[in-house]
Order: sequence, then C-alpha cells, then structure tokens
Amino acid sequence: MDPSPEIADSAAPQRQFNFNTVAAVVFVAGAIILYLLIPTQIDKPLIMLGASQSNLSPELFPQMVAASFLILGGWLFLKSFSLDQRNELRDLDREAITNVGITLVVMAAYVYLMVNLGFVLGSAIMIAVLSTYYGNRNYVLTAVVSIFVPMLIFFLFRRVLLTELPPFPIDIYPLTHWSLI
Amino acid sequence: MFESFVEGIGLALRFDTFIYISVGLFLGMFVGALPGFTTLMAMAILLPVSFFLDPLLGIPFLIGVYKGGIYGGSIPAILISMPGTGAAVATTFDGPALTKKGKARKALEIALFSSVTGDLTSDIITIALIGPIAVVALMMGPPELAAVLFLALIVISATSSGVFVKGLLMLALGLFFAMIGQDPIGALSRFSFGITEIESGIPLLPMLIGVFALPEIFIGIERKASQIISSASLKITGARLTWAEFKSCGRTIARSTMIGTSIGMIPGVGQVVAAFMGYAAAKNASPHPERFGKGELEGVAAAEAANNAVNGPTLVPLLTLGIPGDNLTVILVGAFIAQGMRPGPLLMEEQGSLVFAILIAMVLANILFLFIGYFCIPFFAKIVTIRKSFLLPLTLVFAFAGTWVFRGQPFDLAVLVFFGAFGYIAKKLHFDVTPMAMGFILGPILEYSFGQTVTLAQGNMLNYMFIERPVTAVIILGTPVLTYLLWRRSTRLRNEVAARSTDEETA
Repeated sequence: MDPSPEIADSAAPQRQFNFNTVAAVVFVAGAIILYLLIPTQIDKPLIMLGASQSNLSPELFPQMVAASFLILGGWLFLKSFSLDQRNELRDLDREAITNVGITLVVMAAYVYLMVNLGFVLGSAIMIAVLSTYYGNRNYVLTAVVSIFVPMLIFFLFRRVLLTELPPFPIDIYPLTHWSLI
Repeated sequence: MFESFVEGIGLALRFDTFIYISVGLFLGMFVGALPGFTTLMAMAILLPVSFFLDPLLGIPFLIGVYKGGIYGGSIPAILISMPGTGAAVATTFDGPALTKKGKARKALEIALFSSVTGDLTSDIITIALIGPIAVVALMMGPPELAAVLFLALIVISATSSGVFVKGLLMLALGLFFAMIGQDPIGALSRFSFGITEIESGIPLLPMLIGVFALPEIFIGIERKASQIISSASLKITGARLTWAEFKSCGRTIARSTMIGTSIGMIPGVGQVVAAFMGYAAAKNASPHPERFGKGELEGVAAAEAANNAVNGPTLVPLLTLGIPGDNLTVILVGAFIAQGMRPGPLLMEEQGSLVFAILIAMVLANILFLFIGYFCIPFFAKIVTIRKSFLLPLTLVFAFAGTWVFRGQPFDLAVLVFFGAFGYIAKKLHFDVTPMAMGFILGPILEYSFGQTVTLAQGNMLNYMFIERPVTAVIILGTPVLTYLLWRRSTRLRNEVAARSTDEETA
C-alpha cells in the first residue's frame, strides 16, 4: 500500500535482511514478551459481590497492543524486503560516533553533577567541557557564558516561573543562602 | 458559541498576554534564524515554560514561538542560502539571488509582510471555521469520542513521514509507553516493575523534550561546529520595499494564503509542502516564469505566505477533533493537556471561551509579529554567526532545567536522556516519533472513552455502536477510507515536493 518516497526510489528491491527486518523481529519479540508479562505485571481488579468494578479489563488494552506489535511486526517483516531505506546509523563515521558518544557521556555526568553539585555549578562544568570539546578556545568567554547563563536560567525559573531547580550545596548554610538570586 | 467568542476577546486582551506572545515570537525568530536549529526543537525546549504559566499566557507564548520560528527560518535562507527551518527551503530559490542583487532588505521585508498577511488571514479563517465544526463535535458522547481518537491516531500514523506500517508500529509503541503506570479506569498498576518513579506513569514532559529536541542536538553535534559565516555576508543592503512592490505581490500572497490554509487543515502535510505548492503555483501563474529562481520578489512572497498560512488551520483538526496536523502541534497538545485542556470535541463545550481567547491571541500575535520582525531583522541577521559550540550546550542546559522543574526528580533526567537517544536512533532508522508521541498522549484518553463505551453498551457492543450510535458507526467505517485518502494525498504531495525540489536545485 505504500508508494511513499522510500518506495518510489526502490528501483531494485533489496530482497535481503536489512535493518527493517531486524526491527520487525524486535517488535515481534516485544509482542511475545508483552504477552508473557501481562499476567504478572498487571494488578487484578477488585471483585465486589461477585462482579468486577469495571466492564473493561485492565489487561484488554495491553493485549491489543501486543497483538498490534505481532501483526504489524509481521507486516513490516514482509515489507522490509521491498523497502529501500538507508540505515543512517551505519553512515555515521568515527567523528560522528565519537561526538554523539561523548555528548551522551557528558549528559549522563551532567545528571549526576546537577543533582549533587546543584544546577548552576553542574551546568557551568557541563557548558565549559562541551563548548571546549566542540572547538571553542576563547576561555574568558567560556568562563563568562558557563557561569552567567546558568545563573540567569536559575533566576528565571525560580523567580519568574516560581519553580525549583537543584540549589547549590552551600544552600544548607544560612549565611550563603543561594535563593538570594 | 458567540458568547464564548465575546468572552474570549475579554480574556485575551491582557497586557501580560501581549508580553508573553512577544517573548515567544522573539525566541521563535531567534531559534528559527539559527541554521540547524528547528522550530520543533525551540517548542520542545520551551514547553516547560508554558506548564508553569496561566493557560492564557503559556499557550499563546508557545504559539508565538511557533509563528516566530517559521518566519525566522527565512532570514538565513535569504541572506546565506541556508534555510533556518525546513519550511524556508522554498525561500532559498529566490531569496539569496535577491541578496546577490543587493536587494536583501527588500527580500527580508517581503518575507515578513507576506508571512504576516498569510498568517493573519488564515487565523481569521480558522476562527470562522472552528465554531461550526465545534457545534457538530459537541454532539459526541464517549463512543464517538473513542472512535474519533482512534481515527486521529490512525490518520497521524498514515500521514507521518515514512512508511505507513512503521508509523503504526510507533503508534503501538506509544500506546505501550502510555500503559506503564496505572490503568485510567480502575487505577490498577501496570508494567511498573516495582519501580516507584514510574508507578504514576512515564512523565510526559521529559518524553516530549527527549524525542523532539535532543535528536536535533545529536544531529547538530555529529560534526564539530565551525565558524564558516562571515559577518560581512550578513549585511542587509539595498532600498526598502515599496508599497507598489508589495501590491504587485498581492495576488501571489492571496493565492499562497489559500494554498497554505487548505494544506494546514490536512493532517501530516505541513509548512514545507505548502511553501513548495505556493511557489509552484506562483511560478505557473506568472507572466514571467523565467524570472523565478533568479531573484524574483514574488517567489519569496509565495513561499513565505504559504508556509505561514499553515499555522492557524493546523489548529482546526486539533481543537475540534483532537487530531494534530504535525509534530509541532503535538507539542501544543502536550501544552494543552498539561494545562488541563483536552483537545477534542468536548474542549469547545468545556472551555469554549478559553479556546477563543487563544485563537484571538493568535491574531494579536500576528500584529506583534509584524512589529518585532520589522524592527529586529538586523539583529536576527547577526544571530546566524553565534557559535554552535556554545548554543548546543546551552540548549542542553535549558532542556535539563525544563525537565527537572516538571517533578523535581532525578529519574526524569534519565527519562529525558533515554528518549533523546531513542529519538535519535529512530530518526536514523526512518521511524517517525510523532505517532509514538500521539499514542502516548491520547492512549489513556482513548482507553477511558472505550471503557465508558463498554459500560454504556451493557454487554452488547455491536448493537450499541452500530445501531444505537450511528455517528460512531460512520466514523469507524469511514476510518479506513479517510486514512487511505489522506495517506495518498500526503504521500503524493510529499513526492511532488521532493521532485520539485530536485528540479529547482538542478535549475
């Protein structure tokens, strides 16, 4: 049913396993796992006076989704052999993989830093590290941006939107109350 | 309905609404003017801001970002032939040629005036249309609502970019993610695996920011940023646009506005297609088609009026039926839901005046758009030179801050990173995340409406849905037909755009 741009390009169908075939198998496997999980991962409804409180079982929708995974996974499996799409993950060269990988690692570290050192300090470290990695060599500008932008965002969220961001750890000391900003 | 409209006017005319719309427009234009930064990313990153504001401030703020972002993309498209957003690709056919001729100022001004005219006209048409459609929508009960939601989800999968079956699989995945936590009828625990943080479900905001904003950042950092644009190339030169020149583009702007307005009402087609269609129609209708692509003001006007005219009408299916037109309106759905407003047939009945206030705020946004755009063009032109090495980490800071303030839980940051990585991989493998986000947002509402329908049917579903509720039967039976028609139309339009884009580039 699909004369989509991808299909339109497919002058010579691949007729071999490709990333779409693998994705289809993953979805079918997901359907089986979901079916197996349904009995143990969904609470049973209360039965009062011999009748359930709701006419709709909490298992019905998960079963329908599992069935969808199975049917659609099967459909994609069959279709995958005639699809001509590029696996763009394979097109990534070493530079792209390194850059994305390092950014992911820095993001994971940022979660830790933000929670333990507070939003401003954690963000300052993250900005300094990433901007230097991305090629910035103006360290004075790095210092200014890394410190003042997180402070500005902290102020905006706290004072304008009246929400909370992780404060600086010294917030626990009354003389240096961070909420002053 | 008329009372709601009048009430809406009163609600919208607030000073702080003007301020937040202006801020939204400014930020939207700022991000739109940055090559590689999309309107979608701006809306996803700024979504948390709207959560903590009054609905009459938060949603107009996001609409400002939306409108500003679509226009902002035309600035680098005209000056350096780098479209800031996908919607501005058609603008690169004539914009840079005008800049080379020393008419950059005229090109930027015609882009602004055409955008404002297209957007304003389409917003007025939207207001005129929404009332009658909402009156019909009001006649719906739980079975009709369930059927409409089902239709909406299938349509958004069919019209998403890529292959239909992959869209449906992503929809099913979104429905699965929506099931994690509690079932919407009996509040029974489902798939929480004993993890306390997900007992109330996967948080909406980190998921939306993750799938829509972070993949753009990852794509942006695949290559290390380099400063390739010299400030000299960004000088806005030449005389101002004259009234006569604007008037000469009047017919083109009117035609493109109608094209954009019609396309906006079709889910899944969007600004890019509208801009190309508007451009092609202007070229076909022109007595001098040979001038197009070589620096023709009408070329810029056609593309810009059409892409901005999409903005208002995309809200018609969203507000009346709960069907978002594209991924930008999915972000708006998130904002509506976070504000306790459920887009769909009941919205006009429950919060009619608020809906009209938001629509009127859209009209106001266009007036502010004109002033902000006019006076800030030189500033936005300079933005193109801002270093990516700073912008990308700063975007991350905003994404993390916005995620944290949602619930104040470190777990949400992990959800953000997970969905960011997931969205990036999905993009690389040609799986569109829009149906997944829609399934996630609308899944619980669909399940709840379906549960109510089962209760009302008292054990005889077929009889109830097909005999007692004929509208439900019509929607259910019409779903495959409508899905097929919309799928065929959106696919054909996308193919046409792809072919036309190749032709223009070759020319």
